[in-house]
Amino acid sequence: MKKLLLLLLISATAFAAPPKPKPAKKAIQKSSITAAISQMKSGQHLSAANNLLALSRRPELQSDRSQIKFLLGLALMELEMNQVATFQFVDVIKIGDPRFVKKAIEKLLIVTDKLGDETLLNYAIQRIDVNSLPKSTQELIYFRLGEIKQKSGQFAEANRMYSQVNPGSRYYLNSLYNLGLVQAEAGQTGLALETFQKLVSTRTKANVTDTNKVAAQMAIARTLYQKKDWEKSIEAYSLIPRDHPLWHDAVFEQSWAMFRAARFRSSLSNFQTLHSSYYDDFYIPESLLLRSIVYLYICKYDEMDKVLTLFDKQYGVVGNQIQKFLQSSNNAEAYYREVEKAYAYKYQDRAKARGKLPYIATRFIANEGNVRRSLSYIQKILKEKKMIEDDSRIKNLVIGSYSLKLLNNRIKSAKDRTGDMVKAHLQNMATELVDLREQASLIRYEMINGKKETLKKRLSEKDINDKTETDEKSREFYAQNGYEYYPFQGEFWLDEIGNYHYLGKQSCE
Amino acid sequence: MKKLFLKKSLMTIIFLLSSLAHAADEIEVPDDELAKESVLPVFDSVVSVKNRNVSTAGRFDFGIFGGLALTEPINNTTKVGLELNYHLNENHSLGANFTMNSSGLSKDAQGLKNDFALDFNRAPKPQSTMMLDYNYSPFYGKMSVTKEGVMNTTIYGSGALGLVKYEHKSFPAIAIGIGERFYFTHRFSLKVDLRVFAHQAPIPFQKGAMCDGSLGLCNGGVGLSPQPVPALSSFKERLTYTTNLQIGANYLF
Repeated sequence: MKKLLLLLLISATAFAAPPKPKPAKKAIQKSSITAAISQMKSGQHLSAANNLLALSRRPELQSDRSQIKFLLGLALMELEMNQVATFQFVDVIKIGDPRFVKKAIEKLLIVTDKLGDETLLNYAIQRIDVNSLPKSTQELIYFRLGEIKQKSGQFAEANRMYSQVNPGSRYYLNSLYNLGLVQAEAGQTGLALETFQKLVSTRTKANVTDTNKVAAQMAIARTLYQKKDWEKSIEAYSLIPRDHPLWHDAVFEQSWAMFRAARFRSSLSNFQTLHSSYYDDFYIPESLLLRSIVYLYICKYDEMDKVLTLFDKQYGVVGNQIQKFLQSSNNAEAYYREVEKAYAYKYQDRAKARGKLPYIATRFIANEGNVRRSLSYIQKILKEKKMIEDDSRIKNLVIGSYSLKLLNNRIKSAKDRTGDMVKAHLQNMATELVDLREQASLIRYEMINGKKETLKKRLSEKDINDKTETDEKSREFYAQNGYEYYPFQGEFWLDEIGNYHYLGKQSCE
Repeated sequence: MKKLFLKKSLMTIIFLLSSLAHAADEIEVPDDELAKESVLPVFDSVVSVKNRNVSTAGRFDFGIFGGLALTEPINNTTKVGLELNYHLNENHSLGANFTMNSSGLSKDAQGLKNDFALDFNRAPKPQSTMMLDYNYSPFYGKMSVTKEGVMNTTIYGSGALGLVKYEHKSFPAIAIGIGERFYFTHRFSLKVDLRVFAHQAPIPFQKGAMCDGSLGLCNGGVGLSPQPVPALSSFKERLTYTTNLQIGANYLF
């Protein structure tokens, strides 16, 4: 079917003759272009692409450049050289020959969507008339337009765009999710909940860890939190499956909901998980401050002091290193390299992949949506480059060296763009850490104040011989629910993560 | 009878401990917070335990042990020994051990001597064993009997090469085994080790050579004088397998 469509498309371009050519020139172009078309029809896409590239450079074929470039783009798509193909379609759009512009935009949309090349995708979207496209492509446009409107805060417009993506489209689930987000951002929490519930119900038969389903469930919990329905939010968070990557975020966010619902013991149970050694590489500074605030509420000043000290120790260093790096590096490539190292640190030999920035920060940034998409895009271009380099048939042809040159430039610019994103995230992180450190100071002040008040009270009641909180650490417990108490002795086991229960009592007098 | 007593004692201890637990603070954890899933959280790298209580990497441990040769028919089955191991990492360790065999005969062989005047002291006896040992510990875990405390354990497999010294000669030996360590503290552990040794060894039976004449029963009760003591080197040799069970105490430095 795909081949048939390609043949139809090639035939159509063959019949789209240029206006009034001179007789001699006409003969040359007809024969060369026809030969290339024949090669494409017979599946010789590589030879066709090579010949078409040569033809595109011939000045006497200037008037046929659109057709040649378009055919070249098609041939490259067949060769899975999508990034190189996008440039041919962009050239066609720039030339502006009305016979090929629409087709080129359509192809550009498809290929950039496949690559995740947002710059060219937006370039194509801005030039398209949605109604002139086939239905399947229209839905892509509506989805992407929805994203653009959402980013710029035009929620009503975004809502309208997402609503036009129908079930059955491959963009439907993403549109539904984004629609819910738009509604939540616009403060329509009731509608947002309905949308997310709809998404969950469309995925009823999917696996427990189906990302669409889990993300929708997470969104429900977040929307309930937004609605300040703490108890239901806690319940919704607890439905996130433990073996899904979103579970870590769910535990942290659930702790906030527990804190707001005054379920201090429960939130402290979650912190035992979040502050275990398994989370050494996770950037969650806020969780430490939240834990200290919970301790403040239950007058556990010693514990509070420990947590605040840990915050200073862990995130003070991170903040300083980020500031230092921001001051010493202006080059976007340097920022990209740091994230690249974080990626290597995650999957390869850790000793060899140490960056200048703390891994805890670069790991967090590498997982940020825009950076992750950008990294994935770079991976795709690198893969395309490798495919050309590994295939001597392509590499030794003019099209091979042309493609490599083009891809190298593209890789460099994509890396620079990613580097800029990383820098922006680092700047935000640095600002956030400064802010959090100020908050930590305020919390510490509250802690000292609380300690002082407790001592005053004790002195006035002449009760200084009372046991302090630290004296009571040897308590014994009997756990109800038929479960058995198993003491924690400093070791963290993977199968226990998420199952810790804080058994301390509040110490307020 | 002994088993019954042990069982009763255990029951009493458990009852007493559970009574103590009832006297302690009562904690009710909300049902929705209790574990519902048996799946594991997803992390970048799968590590089953972090911040181990017992970390052995790059450390030496020294141990003493006592053992029983479970399949030894003739010689004294008990032995004692020393060992020193160096842990290359949490999973692999290399070491050496020296085991001294007790002198004398096994109960069965002593019975043969008493009842039939067959003196197996005439046959060559193992004196000591020296082995270079490699241990691989793939399993590190913890267990709790009373739920009041937690004990860490490791299960390991071992492979060893060395020499078994007999009175007249030494024989190369190999051994494979399996064992478990129970850590009572971060350093001190009790070790149970089961090994099968394979090596050439003298056959302790030699026709017309074992009777010491003490009961006048030599040569089927016909001859009265003791049979001459054979030379140790006159005993034939064959590949011998011995299963050893050892229990020891180790200390991690």
